[in-house]
Amino acid sequence: MRPVTTTATTAASTGVEPPADGLVVVVKQDCPTCQLVAPVLGELVDRGATVYSQDDPAFPPGVEVRDDTALDASVALGIDVVPTLLRREGGRETARAEGWDRATWRELSGVADLGADLPDWKPGCGSRTHDPAVADAMLVRARGHELTARRVELAGLEDEAEALYDRGWTDGLPVVAPTPPRVLRMLAGTTRAPDEVVAVVPPNLVPATVEKVAINAVLAGCRPEYLPVVLAAVEAVCAEEFNAHGLLATTWGAAPAVLVHGPVARRIGVNSGGNALGQGTRANSTIGRAVQLVIRNVGGGRPGEVDRATLGQPGKVGLCFAEDEESSPWEPLSVGRGVPAGTSAVTVFATEGPRGVVDQISRTPESLARSLAVALRGVGHPKLAPGFDAMLVLSPEHVAVFAEAGWDRARFTAALAELLLLPPEELARGADGIEEGVPEPTRPRPKFRPDGLLVAVAGGGAGKFSAVLGGWVGGPGGSSPVTRVIEEA
Amino acid sequence: MHDLAALEADGVTATFVASSEFVTATDAQARALGFASVPAVYVAHPIQDRTDPEMAALADEALPRVLAAVTGASPAG
Amino acid sequence: MVSPVTVVLDPTDESRPAARTVGPRPDDLAGRTVGLLDIAKPRGDVFLDRLADLLTERGATVRRYAKPTFTKPMPTDLRAEITAQCDVVIEALAD
Repeated sequence: MRPVTTTATTAASTGVEPPADGLVVVVKQDCPTCQLVAPVLGELVDRGATVYSQDDPAFPPGVEVRDDTALDASVALGIDVVPTLLRREGGRETARAEGWDRATWRELSGVADLGADLPDWKPGCGSRTHDPAVADAMLVRARGHELTARRVELAGLEDEAEALYDRGWTDGLPVVAPTPPRVLRMLAGTTRAPDEVVAVVPPNLVPATVEKVAINAVLAGCRPEYLPVVLAAVEAVCAEEFNAHGLLATTWGAAPAVLVHGPVARRIGVNSGGNALGQGTRANSTIGRAVQLVIRNVGGGRPGEVDRATLGQPGKVGLCFAEDEESSPWEPLSVGRGVPAGTSAVTVFATEGPRGVVDQISRTPESLARSLAVALRGVGHPKLAPGFDAMLVLSPEHVAVFAEAGWDRARFTAALAELLLLPPEELARGADGIEEGVPEPTRPRPKFRPDGLLVAVAGGGAGKFSAVLGGWVGGPGGSSPVTRVIEEA
Repeated sequence: MHDLAALEADGVTATFVASSEFVTATDAQARALGFASVPAVYVAHPIQDRTDPEMAALADEALPRVLAAVTGASPAG
Repeated sequence: MVSPVTVVLDPTDESRPAARTVGPRPDDLAGRTVGLLDIAKPRGDVFLDRLADLLTERGATVRRYAKPTFTKPMPTDLRAEITAQCDVVIEALAD
């Protein structure tokens, strides 16, 4: 994160040059301390000082004042407090006093009896450059030139939410208007340059800059600190092996979901606990949505156009959650995918969304693994194998059964793979009176291709329920999960 | 103008007929609703004191432009 | 009428025009259902009566609707009714 700064600009960029040499005072009428020092300002002006007023060019009365209601000089001088007395020599500031401090003002001005009737000291007030009412304008003035996206005027009679919907920029839910100040605040969430290309976005293969992603993150309702996660997720979704175009164009209803790994999850508040796959947490609700809006708005992937889903599913608005790495007894999923422990990352995977699996009875890992395997077999169709990938989200109470029996992640996944090696006679077309199935299978077939089943630990502390998130065709003919380290997280 | 915007948003081809007094107001409102231009048809002002035959003649005269506003037809034809 | 303009940044690839546009027009009205929407100003009905005859002569099916008042946008139920029934709408006559 870099701080949003409105003062890191130069006088040259604002077109207002404070005097190169001499005393400068910046005041505002709406400040008791400035009113207190008003009597001494005339004396300073007589000695060549320049006085800027931030709010009322007629203040103080009877003194020659420069109008700084546009705050250009205040920005150029980096004023935080009023009154501020500065001494400048050769275009550089050599001394500064903030608020009223008689001894310092006398020393700075060289006027031995300055302010004899005033108290010794009185603290100043906040500069108008920090007034929230003008902060947006200041921000746009300082950094607006970094924004290159087309500016669209929403006309006076247009309801803001309706106007954004009418332009086709939303997923059907209201969006936050991506005004320049909001986008600039969003961009403060990353150190990456706004014009840097993050990825080439399917289906139209349009380069998405950091700025475009930030605009869509604003639309989605993200906070600036989510932006590095969104950027990594967009990059992952646009990777060749993820095949976002195919995922969009298939009539199957799966969509990209975002799993967040590492310390960033806790820091920005991605929920990995109770209701991790549900509503109610801003990061979860908006990060996945931002990714989907990038595909829609930048990539042009819209339902009814390239998106041909027969049914779709509510997770297509956006699905994002984190693995509960802190409570999990197992090595994080990300470590198995090559991310160093303690490093933040995202994994994107194609999913239809969750289906719960109940097992409140099993106390042995063998029994519970069988339960979960039966549920996983249903992904796509119980008689199709291999084919679709899947994500299994193990709840804390379920993973504890394995951990207490000494099963680690590797042993668990090996056990599942064995249980999901399905006999050909059960898979064959026509078997069980079901025409769907594998054509003439001769040997046992694995339900999932190698690495086709992801397992993450998440969820609330109570409930012997896990969830299966069925995916889409795994591998080169479909989509492979993609993991990307989050820069600067 | 709001009706036109609403109907067009619903996928219905829409126009409206107004007296020439409304040209400026309509343009302003169209811009205020985000349209660069709208297919409105204007007829000679005033309206409310006209006789029935005069109103019918006005409709006859406006027809080519009404058709042009809602179809690909040229207003001259 | 005059309210502040909000500026937003385009979240798309900017290949479509920023201004709102009206939808594509049919080639002609033959066989189409055309709604004539009377905004309820005096004499507008006479104009629309004539227009109805002219459009019927050109093969359009004409349906008539009336707004309760010209001072407000049409009510939601009227909008839904027109949208369900019509391909084309001609609203008249503002004076």
